[in-house]
Amino acid sequence: ILHLNERICPIKLFGGSQQQEAVAAESEPEPLSIFRTQENDPACQSEKHFGQYYTLPSAHVRTVFPHGLPMRYKQQVKTFNEACMMVRPPALEVISSLKKTDNSKPAVRYLFYGLKGSGKTMTLCHTIHFCYTQGWLVLHVPDAHLWVKNCKELLPSSFNSSRYDQPLQATEWLRNFRITNEPFLSKIKTKQRYVWTKRESTEEGSTLGELVDQGITRVKTSSDVVGAVMKELRLQSGQPESDFRLAVAVDGVNALWGRSTIRKMNNTAVDPEELTLVYNLRKLMKNDWTGGAIITTLAQTGAVYTSKYSYLPKELLGEKGFDSMDPFIPVSVPNYSEKEFESCYLYYMDRHWLQYPHSRTEDGKKELIFLSNRNPSMLERICGFH
Amino acid sequence: MVCPSLFSIVTVGENMAAHTSRAFLSLGRINVPGLGLHKSVSRVTYSTGLSTDSSKATTGSPQKGGKKVLSKKYKREPGDPRTELMPVDQDWTAVYPVATPFIPDAIPLPVRMGCPVKGGAPPEKKGNLELIKIPNFLHLTPAAIKKHCEALKPFCTEWPSALDTDAKCDEHFPIKVETKSYVSAGPSIRNPAARIVHLSVKLSSLNLNDQARKKMLKLVGDRYCKDTDILTITADRCPLKQQNYDYAMYLLTVLYHESWKIEAWEAEKTVADMEEYSWEGSLSQENILDVLVRMKEAGEGEGEEVREQLLGRREVQEYKDSVTRLKNEGENESTMLQYKEAVKKVLKL
Repeated sequence: ILHLNERICPIKLFGGSQQQEAVAAESEPEPLSIFRTQENDPACQSEKHFGQYYTLPSAHVRTVFPHGLPMRYKQQVKTFNEACMMVRPPALEVISSLKKTDNSKPAVRYLFYGLKGSGKTMTLCHTIHFCYTQGWLVLHVPDAHLWVKNCKELLPSSFNSSRYDQPLQATEWLRNFRITNEPFLSKIKTKQRYVWTKRESTEEGSTLGELVDQGITRVKTSSDVVGAVMKELRLQSGQPESDFRLAVAVDGVNALWGRSTIRKMNNTAVDPEELTLVYNLRKLMKNDWTGGAIITTLAQTGAVYTSKYSYLPKELLGEKGFDSMDPFIPVSVPNYSEKEFESCYLYYMDRHWLQYPHSRTEDGKKELIFLSNRNPSMLERICGFH
Repeated sequence: MVCPSLFSIVTVGENMAAHTSRAFLSLGRINVPGLGLHKSVSRVTYSTGLSTDSSKATTGSPQKGGKKVLSKKYKREPGDPRTELMPVDQDWTAVYPVATPFIPDAIPLPVRMGCPVKGGAPPEKKGNLELIKIPNFLHLTPAAIKKHCEALKPFCTEWPSALDTDAKCDEHFPIKVETKSYVSAGPSIRNPAARIVHLSVKLSSLNLNDQARKKMLKLVGDRYCKDTDILTITADRCPLKQQNYDYAMYLLTVLYHESWKIEAWEAEKTVADMEEYSWEGSLSQENILDVLVRMKEAGEGEGEEVREQLLGRREVQEYKDSVTRLKNEGENESTMLQYKEAVKKVLKL
C-alpha cells in the first residue's frame, strides 16, 4: 500500500485507470482489488471481502433505496457517480444468519447498535440489498423517528377513536413501498375485506397493489391502509401457499418505545402507542409470525429526549422496548478497524476526494486517523475538507 | 547642580566607590519621598563627599574632623546565621519544640517559595513572607513524635494480644464508633464539633434474612455503602457526645427490629419496587417460552409440563443468567456478548 501511495503522488488528477494500472502493475498485480471487489452480489460475499467496496447497480439503488440511504451517502453517490458500499463483519454476520433462516420458525430479530456514525444504517442497507437480491419482500421503514416528531397533520383515527392518524407520513411510505416491491404487488392477494368508508371498500382477494393505490389516492385512509398492508403481510408470510419471505427493516427502532414530540389539541403529549402507524409497526416487531426476519437499528441521531452519548440497546430502547424486543440478537457495529480504514482511505484517494497533497503523506494519514478516530461518518466529513 | 558632579565622582576611583554607593543611596532616599533634586535634605552626607573631593586642597583638617563625627552611626555587622553553626546530628526538637513561624536563619534548608522571576528561580527564604504566612510542621518531625509517644506511654495500656488481625477485631467488635476531640488554646476549652459521633457496622455481621436485609437497605438509604457493606450512622443532633452516641445506638437497634417486622402493605410490592431483577415471572420468561413453544422444541405437550421441561434446559438457564446479568449489572460489551451467545443458542442459530 505504501508503494501505491508513493507512486500515485507524482501522477496528476487526470491519470485515468490506464495510467494507474500501468504504474501499479510494477508493484502489485491487481491494484483495484485492494479496496474494491468485483463480487457485487451480497449472497456471495465472504470473509475475504472484508474491508472491500462493492458496487451497487444503479437500478437497485433506485428501486431498493428510494428512501433508505443516509443523506450524506446519497450526496456521495451523486458526487462519485457510483454507489459503493464496504463489506463489513456485522453485515455479513447477519446475512449468513439470514441465509440459514428456517421458514417455519418464528422471525428472528436482529438489532444493530453502535456509536454515532459507526455505520449502522449503512449495514442495514447492505442487509436489505441482500434480501432484495434474494427475492424477499422488503418492508423498510427508513427512520421511525420521522413518525413521532414534526407531524404537520394529525387526524383522529376513524378505525379506533383513541388513536391518531398521520396521513402525510403514511402516503409517503406507501409510495416508497410501492417502488421497492413492484413485483409482489400483483402476486399477493388480500385475505380479508376492508371497508374504508360507506362507499369504498377493498374486497377479499384483491391484490396488494390495489390496496396500496387506495392508500395513496385516498390520503385520509392511508394510515389504516398501512396497518392493513402490514397485517396482510404478517399473516401471509410463512404460510405454505405464499412463496415470498418477508424482511422487516426498521431504522431507529427505539422511536417506537420512546417519547414523541407531537402534541394533541389540548397540549398534552401523544404517547407513541396512540399513533396508528407506530401501533401497527409494533405488532410487526413481535415475533409471532413466521417466514422472515426482522432487522432493526438503533439510532440516537434524530431521537427525541435521549442523551447524545447513549448508544447501548437498553438505554435507547428503555425497559418496555427491551422487553418487547427480547429475545433479539444484538450485533455491534464498531468504528473502522485498521484494514477498513486503509480501504476507505484508498477509496477516497481513488475517487480524488482527498485533494490536498498533504493528505497523501503518512503524516496526513495519521492526522486523519487522529481527527476522526476511525469513525466512518467523521472520516467522511473530514476528508471533504482535506 | 547635584547630578553632573555625581557622575564626576563615579569616574574618580575605587576609593570613592564606597562613598558613591552611599551617595547613590542617599540620593535614592532623597528622591523617593518625592523631594526634588534641588532640595538636599541629607545634603550633609552628599556634599561632604563632594567637598572632600574638590576641596581637598583648599580646606583643611577641620572639615575632615567634622566628617568623622557626623558620619554613619556605628552599626554592628550581623554575624553568621544560626544555620551555619548547627551540627548535622543536632536535636531538632530543641530547635523547634513548639509550633513557631518560619525562621529562615534557624532552618538549615535552602527552601525557595513564591512566584519565580522570569527566567529565574523563586525567591529565597531570607525575608520571604510567603514562608512565614503558611503553617509549618517543623515541630512535628518523626523524632518529635517519638518523644510524644514516649511521654504518652505511661498512660496507655497494652493492645490485647488475641486481636492481632483485622478479621478478629471485626468478629468480636463489629460496631465501630468514631469521635473526634479538639484541644486548643482559647477562651473556652469546649468545641461544638466534638459532639459528632459516627457509628459504622458491617451488615453481614447483623442477623438479617433476605427480606429483612432489603427492608433495612430501603430504610437506611444513602448511609449504606455497597462496595464495603458498611452501614454508617452519623449522629450530631444532640449537644453532647454521650447523648449522640446513645442516639446512634438506639437508631441501630430500632432499624434492626423494624427490618424484621413484616407489614401488611408490604405484600403489595410491585415490580418497580424490586431492587434486583428476577427472571422468574418476568416478561422475558414469557417471551422465550412462547418462542420455544412455537418453534415446537419440546414436541407436542400441554401447558405446564412443557414449560417445566423447557425451563430445565441448559440453554434456557444460560439465557436466564445472561438476561439477569444484563439487567442487574447494566450494559457493557461483555454482558451484551454473553446475551447474544445465549440467544443464539436458545434460538438454535
